[in-house]
Amino acid sequence: MKNLVTALLCSAALGLPAVQAQEIKSASRYGDLSTVSQDMLNRAASDSQNFLQTNGDYNQQRYYPNRQINTTNVSKLRPAWIFQTEVKESLETSPIVVNGTMFVTTSFSQVYALNARTGEELWHYVPKMGPITTFCCGPNNRGVAVSDNMVYLGTLDSQLVALDARSGKVMWKTEIADPEEGYSETMAPTVVDNKVLIGTNGGEYGIRGFMKAFDAKTGKLIWTFNTVPENSVGVWAEKDATGKDLHRDIAAEKATLAAMLQPTAADQKQKSGAADSAAKVVPVVDKPGATPSTSAAPAPKAAQFYKTLGGGIWQNPAVDLETRRIYFVVGNPSPDLDGSQRPGDNLYTDSLVSLDLDTGKYVCHLQYIPHDVWDFDAVSPPVITKVADKDGKPIKGVLHAGKTGYVYVHDAKDCSLVRYSEPMVPQENMWTLPTKEGARMLPGANGGVEWSPLATDPNRGLAYAINLHQPMTYQVQNSPYPDGKLWLGGAFKVIPSEEQWGNITAVDYNTGKIRWQVKTAQPMIGGILATAGGLIFAGEGNGLFKAYDSESGSPLWSFQAGAGVNAPPSSYSVEGKQYIVVGAGGNTQLDYKRGNSIIAFTVD
Amino acid sequence: MAVRRFTACVSAAVLVWAGVSAAARADTIDEKAAVCSSCHGEKGVPTDKNIPIIWGQQEGYLYLQLRDFKKGARKNEIMNGIAESLEKDDMKELAAYFAAKPWPNLNQASASDADVLQAKTANSAVGCSACHLDRFQGTGTVPRLSGQSHDYLAKTLAEFRSGERANNPGMTSLAQATPEPDLKAMEAYLAGL
Repeated sequence: MKNLVTALLCSAALGLPAVQAQEIKSASRYGDLSTVSQDMLNRAASDSQNFLQTNGDYNQQRYYPNRQINTTNVSKLRPAWIFQTEVKESLETSPIVVNGTMFVTTSFSQVYALNARTGEELWHYVPKMGPITTFCCGPNNRGVAVSDNMVYLGTLDSQLVALDARSGKVMWKTEIADPEEGYSETMAPTVVDNKVLIGTNGGEYGIRGFMKAFDAKTGKLIWTFNTVPENSVGVWAEKDATGKDLHRDIAAEKATLAAMLQPTAADQKQKSGAADSAAKVVPVVDKPGATPSTSAAPAPKAAQFYKTLGGGIWQNPAVDLETRRIYFVVGNPSPDLDGSQRPGDNLYTDSLVSLDLDTGKYVCHLQYIPHDVWDFDAVSPPVITKVADKDGKPIKGVLHAGKTGYVYVHDAKDCSLVRYSEPMVPQENMWTLPTKEGARMLPGANGGVEWSPLATDPNRGLAYAINLHQPMTYQVQNSPYPDGKLWLGGAFKVIPSEEQWGNITAVDYNTGKIRWQVKTAQPMIGGILATAGGLIFAGEGNGLFKAYDSESGSPLWSFQAGAGVNAPPSSYSVEGKQYIVVGAGGNTQLDYKRGNSIIAFTVD
Repeated sequence: MAVRRFTACVSAAVLVWAGVSAAARADTIDEKAAVCSSCHGEKGVPTDKNIPIIWGQQEGYLYLQLRDFKKGARKNEIMNGIAESLEKDDMKELAAYFAAKPWPNLNQASASDADVLQAKTANSAVGCSACHLDRFQGTGTVPRLSGQSHDYLAKTLAEFRSGERANNPGMTSLAQATPEPDLKAMEAYLAGL
C-alpha cells in the first residue's frame, strides 16, 4: 500500500501519466526495483521500508525510524540469510535498499544487487579498471548512490559509473580525475536534484582535492570545488579549533613561503613578458575563506604546492535541502607528516566546508587543525541536526566526529564552532611535532574517530561514535612527490608494546558531555546505526556484531560473524518484516580478519 | 658465481636490446619482451637472485617502474638504458604482457615460526598489508611480494632504507621505521609465502 502511495506521489511530482504509475506499482514488489524519485530521497529519514542513502538520509543522521526490532525482542535477532561475495577483502559498504532490492559493494569497486528478502543475487558488476589504481588504506568501496532507475559508483581507478538498477548494465562512465596522478575513489556518491556529488581519495598522494557535481543523466561535469585554493595560506593560526597550541614555527614557514615566491631563472624564462611580480601573484590574505586572486602569470613553480597539497574527501556530504547547501569534511594536507614543503594553514584541509549545492560556490568553513603534520584529517561524515546554541536555543547544527576524539558541534549558518565534546579517548602530548626518531602522541593517526560515520538519536540528543585507542609515534622525513606514489613525508608507527582498544561513546551534543561509554577489545572502525527501537548496532574487528540499548549502552545481543565487522550497518523492511544488514569482510587498514559476507538479520 | 651469471645476463640484455632498438617500432610484443627474458627469465624465473620476478607482477606497478626507469627516478644502469627508448604505449603494453603471465614458483623455504611471528608484529606496527594486502599479493600499482625472490626483497628493502632507491619515499620511511632484524624476518616470511 505504501508503495502505491509512494508511486502515485512520485508520478504526480514528475507529472507522469497514470499508466506509468501503474507500471511503478507492479514493479515495486521485493526483488524488483521501482524508480527512486527525488521525493523519496528527500523523505528518506521517515522511510521505514527502504534505506536510500549511505548515511540514512540527506542529513546523515543514521537514525532508522522502524521500531519493529527493539530492546524487548533484539535478543531473538537471527541471521535471515548470508550472501558470500566473490571478493574476500575489506568490506566498508553501506547497503542501500530500495523496495526489496539491496545494493552492496566490495573491495575493488564491485557491485552486487541482491534480493533483500532472500539474499539471492540479481546481478553482479565487475568494473574493467585500468592498470593504475592507488589507495592508502585498502582497495575499499563504501557503497553506491541510487536515484531514478540508476545506481552510481566511484571506482578505484577514479571513474564515475552509472548502472541500470535493473540489470547492472553501464549507462555511462566518466573519468573523475587522472589515476596516474594519485586520484582514486572509495567513497559512495550522493545524488540530489539530478546532481551526482563525489569527492576524491588521494590525501596520501600529491593530489589537489575536490568536490565535483556531475549530471546524473549524462555524466557531464556541472561544477568543481577545489578543496585547496591557490592561496591556501590562511591566518597563520597558532592554535587548533579548540585552542591547543600547534607548536608551529610561523616565522620559519613565512620565510619558506617568501623563498618559494622568489622566481627562479626557470620561472623567469617561462613567464617572460608578464608584468606582475611573483608577490602579487600569490598574495597573502589575512582572512580565511577569502577568494584567492587570479592572475594571468603563474606563480613560481615552488609556490604552486597547492597542486599537490592533498585535501581529499573521504565521505558523503550532508545536504541541507532548505538552504540548498552541502556540508562535508576535507582530509589532510600532503605530505601527511612533513609540513616543511607547505607553509601556511593549508586551507581547506582538515576542515568542515559548506558550499552552495547548485553552483559549488564557497559558503563557509571551519578549520579544525591548521597546518596538520599528524594526518589528523577530518573524515567522518558530518551530520545536520538541531542542536542547542551557547544560550541553549535550538539552532540548525552540524556535527563532526574528529580523529582528535572530539565531537565538534557547529552552527550550520556560518560553520562556526558552538562547542566540542569531552574527549572520547585519551589525549597525550598534543600537539607534539613529529621528529626524525619518532615522537609519541595520543590519539594515534587513525583517531579517535576514523572515517566511521556517526549515528544520532535526535529524540535523545545523542551522537554515537566508535573510537580507536592506538598509541603511535610520528616520524617526519622530507622527500619530493614521487609521481603517483604514496607520499606520507614520514611514518606513523603503532607502538607494539602498548595496549590498544576501542570504545562506543554516546555524546550529548547539546552539552558536549559524554553520556555513556562501552569499551571494546579492539580499536573500532566501520560505523554505527541507531534505530527508533532504542537500539544501536556496531561491529568489531574480532567478528562480533552487537546491539546495545541506545539510552544506556547495555549490550543486548551479539553475533560472531567469522570476519571483522567493519562496515556501517543498514536497516530495511520487506513484506512488513524489519531487517538489519551489515558487511563482514574485515579491514585492510587495521588488518582485521578478512571475509566476504553480507549478513541480514531479522527477529525470528 | 652469482656475480658472473649476472654479468652474463647484463651482456645479453645489452646485446638483445641493441638489436631490438635497431628493429625500431616494427616489433611485436613478444619481440619487445624478449629482451626482458634474458634477465627476468624465459619462463619467468629470473637468471639471478637479485633480479625480481616480473611474470604475474601487478600491471600498474610494472608500468610505474618502467616510467620511473625512463625518467631516472629509479636508478639501474641496465633498466635505465632499456627504458630510455620506450614510449608510454610500449611501457603499458609490456606491463600488461608480463602481468598476464603466471607467477613462477621459486620453491623458496617457508619462514621459521619465529620469523613469521616477528614479521607479523612488524606488519602490525607499520601496516605493510594496508597496501600490499592480506596475503601480500598486491594490486594495481602496489607490487606482489608473496613468493618474490628473497635476495631481491632483501636488496630492495636495504636500498629503500638507505635511500638508494628513491622512487618511493613512503617505503623509505617505513623501512627506516622498522628495525633491521624485523626486516630480515619480513624478507624470509614474504619469500616463503
